[in-house]
Amino acid sequence: MISVQRLIQAISLFCFLALLWLAAFPLPDWAPVDAFLRMDPLVLLGTVFAARSWIPGLGLSFLILAATAILGRFFCGYLCPMGTTLDLTDRLFRPKHNDPANPARLKQSNGLRRIKYLLLFFLAGIAALGVSAVFIASPLSLITRFYAMLVHPLAALTSDGLLHLIRPLALHQDWTWAAYAEIPRPRFSTQWFVLTFFLGIFALAWFSPRFWCRYLCPSGAILALVGRKPLMRRMVADACTRCDACRQSCPMDAITVDPRETRHDECIACLNCVRACPVDAISFGSAIKPVRTPDPFLPRRREALLAGLAGVGAATLTLTGLAEVRGELLPGNPMPPDLLRPPGALPERTFLARCIRCGLCMRACPTNTLQPLWLQAGVVSLFSPGLMPRRGPCLPECTTCGDVCPTGAIPSLPLFEKQWAKIGTAHILRHKCLAWEWEKECLVCDEVCPYDAIELRKIPEVGVSVPFVRGNQCSGCGFCEYHCPVRAASAIVVEPMEALRLDSGSYKQTGQAIGLRLNIDPKDKAFTAVNDNDSMNDDMTRPAPGFTF
Amino acid sequence: MANAPFLQPIRDTPFAHSFNRRDFLKAQGAAVLAAAAGCSVLLDPALAKAEAWPDLAVAKGAPGPATRAAVDAMGGMTAFVRPGQQVVIKPNMSFSQPPERAVNTHPEVVRELALMCREAGAARVRILDHPLQSAEMCLVQSGIQQACSVLPEVSVHTLSAARFFRRTAIPFGKQLREAQVMQDVLDADVLIAAPVAKSHSATGVSLAMKGMMGLILDRGELHRRHDLHTAIVDLNTLLRPALVVVDATRVLSTNGPFGPGKVLQEDTVIASRDIVAADALTVNMFEWYGRRFESRQVRHILLAHERGLGSMDVDSLDVHEVAA
Repeated sequence: MISVQRLIQAISLFCFLALLWLAAFPLPDWAPVDAFLRMDPLVLLGTVFAARSWIPGLGLSFLILAATAILGRFFCGYLCPMGTTLDLTDRLFRPKHNDPANPARLKQSNGLRRIKYLLLFFLAGIAALGVSAVFIASPLSLITRFYAMLVHPLAALTSDGLLHLIRPLALHQDWTWAAYAEIPRPRFSTQWFVLTFFLGIFALAWFSPRFWCRYLCPSGAILALVGRKPLMRRMVADACTRCDACRQSCPMDAITVDPRETRHDECIACLNCVRACPVDAISFGSAIKPVRTPDPFLPRRREALLAGLAGVGAATLTLTGLAEVRGELLPGNPMPPDLLRPPGALPERTFLARCIRCGLCMRACPTNTLQPLWLQAGVVSLFSPGLMPRRGPCLPECTTCGDVCPTGAIPSLPLFEKQWAKIGTAHILRHKCLAWEWEKECLVCDEVCPYDAIELRKIPEVGVSVPFVRGNQCSGCGFCEYHCPVRAASAIVVEPMEALRLDSGSYKQTGQAIGLRLNIDPKDKAFTAVNDNDSMNDDMTRPAPGFTF
Repeated sequence: MANAPFLQPIRDTPFAHSFNRRDFLKAQGAAVLAAAAGCSVLLDPALAKAEAWPDLAVAKGAPGPATRAAVDAMGGMTAFVRPGQQVVIKPNMSFSQPPERAVNTHPEVVRELALMCREAGAARVRILDHPLQSAEMCLVQSGIQQACSVLPEVSVHTLSAARFFRRTAIPFGKQLREAQVMQDVLDADVLIAAPVAKSHSATGVSLAMKGMMGLILDRGELHRRHDLHTAIVDLNTLLRPALVVVDATRVLSTNGPFGPGKVLQEDTVIASRDIVAADALTVNMFEWYGRRFESRQVRHILLAHERGLGSMDVDSLDVHEVAA
């Protein structure tokens, strides 16, 4: 019979995947697609600490922390999609149960347990300098990335392939949806890394089940600190025969050699021991008598200090990197010319402090233009989202990346604000442009620009109308770069110049104040009038592009 | 289905220079005759009415009624669509913009055409375009999906994945010798072009002939490798709509194809069997950039005329004007 714990785990993983699936454009407003990410206590502590600001959405994990004080690490055993995934993969990667070569069966691993706490102190040390490294170890960030950027693209590719296979049948049977459905097939550049990383995590099952949860997970460490004396806890009756069956069954190695004792800070309340006990001596409940946790983790001062200092050192190192963009003005302003952040992303320093690299924005982006950065903006930007206009443009009618962001690194903006959140400015590479260099009637950039930012001019040296970018009308959406027929690199590229990134205030008001003209709302009468006037002027002073005389 | 009539060259030899409606009748009739083996030409209702057909019909009125009036003046939809046939309608729905911006075909024009096809007995009507913007948003914003949603066996799709396209030779292409064309278009019996009348920064206007670029996968190649106007004509030697219906209820007179630009309220629908004539008349009838142009000033219209795809000399054609 399936246990209640397994059932809740299955439901929880299903909800996690369902929310991930719903995190797409158009986003249903009823679905809290980032809910699981917001439950992770490391996301709360790491992000609030590094960003130096309270992020209301993350309050959800206080509920988890409060419940942990009562129930112990139930989150790890019931809700965490990383834990559930590891329970599944452990079956594949575990050596046979009675394999004497299994080292985890032979030795206690109290030393390894400290790793997760030390990792926590390391992350705290980094956050102390306003740098966030939550993404390297937050289980929810990692597992979201795993499903969003590795599993989902594979599933989408497979589904689209199946649709193609059945298309003749679908057409014949008049299954219109199946015949014409196009499953968006996202691609990401880091999939081999994500795969290798997770294969490594999965393979640790060879040493012990839930190796990650036992020894490495810093969120687990937070929960262990909070839940070391839970109200509801494992209790062993006197009927215990010390047969060791419970200890063998415990995935967390939370039962000591004396099976009547429990390391409550390690127990995830999975109830395996209850089921394993041949004499029904084990129960979970509360008792008045004081809790005793044998061998609880107490950070050795030197050890904890060193871990924290290592974090401070790592953060300091990122401040001296050449590629690391921090937003402050360095002489000469070195920055990667292709570093385009999602529309409305906070100023770079705060953005990086808040971004947990979960990949939810990249999952949700309808054009797949949001890609995980590799090392082009330094280690500190690893896996953070950047636009790649050659892959897709940023849709003016979409606000999904901000709407799904769990930490507000990309704020959730209303559409009229988002349309003013300038990403960068397009530049024409005249030496590559079909019109400028080859005198061809192309002007696809003008054709597709949603902001009407391309101006066509007739100049004496060139036989066809040639494009110019009106900088204050360019939002950096990248439609031009995406559709430009020039290969391989486009003849018009968006660079982050003049990107508008605000900590607070209105993008529209700020944009208008500095002379931008990014209003593309067709319902805005004032805008239409302005453009009609422009067109009138065009009538008299400019040629009609595309006609011959 | 390789024998879709609009894919066939009009004659054994490439297009004769002067091109009249009898040539069209032969092309139209070829497939009909094959299908209705044994029937006398005179008994075929479409052919029987032949002499009454004008070269062009211009209908004034609201989008839906004007569309119907224009097609009726051309002999009615039964002259183009036989019972049981598969029809593809190619409107403009490439931009996620509402109808008043005049960058997409008016939804009521498209709906009326689809409805008339069904009335004529079409088994399936597919309304297809390869959009430039988000496919879903185009379907919604253009209003075309909503307008056609109630019609049975009619569906609207924006296709952009390569698997919906098939590489096809263009035997009469001068520069564009092959293209990846929508599978559904290659398999259809009847193709109807239903463009909106709008200006275009690279080609002067974007009408029925330019609109055929919305049925292929790689449009960049036409810009990059070829002379765009020649390539458009090349494509039109392959994709030959039986009926062209130009939606000039609103005309995007400047700053096309995306706009925003000056929108003229013209309440006009133009129909023809001759794609060159339909495009040419549309150029002549309306103001572009505040001025008048002749159709020869649009190079792909001139080239198509010269290559015998149709006639741009609309003054010498029989234009039938009706009010809806």
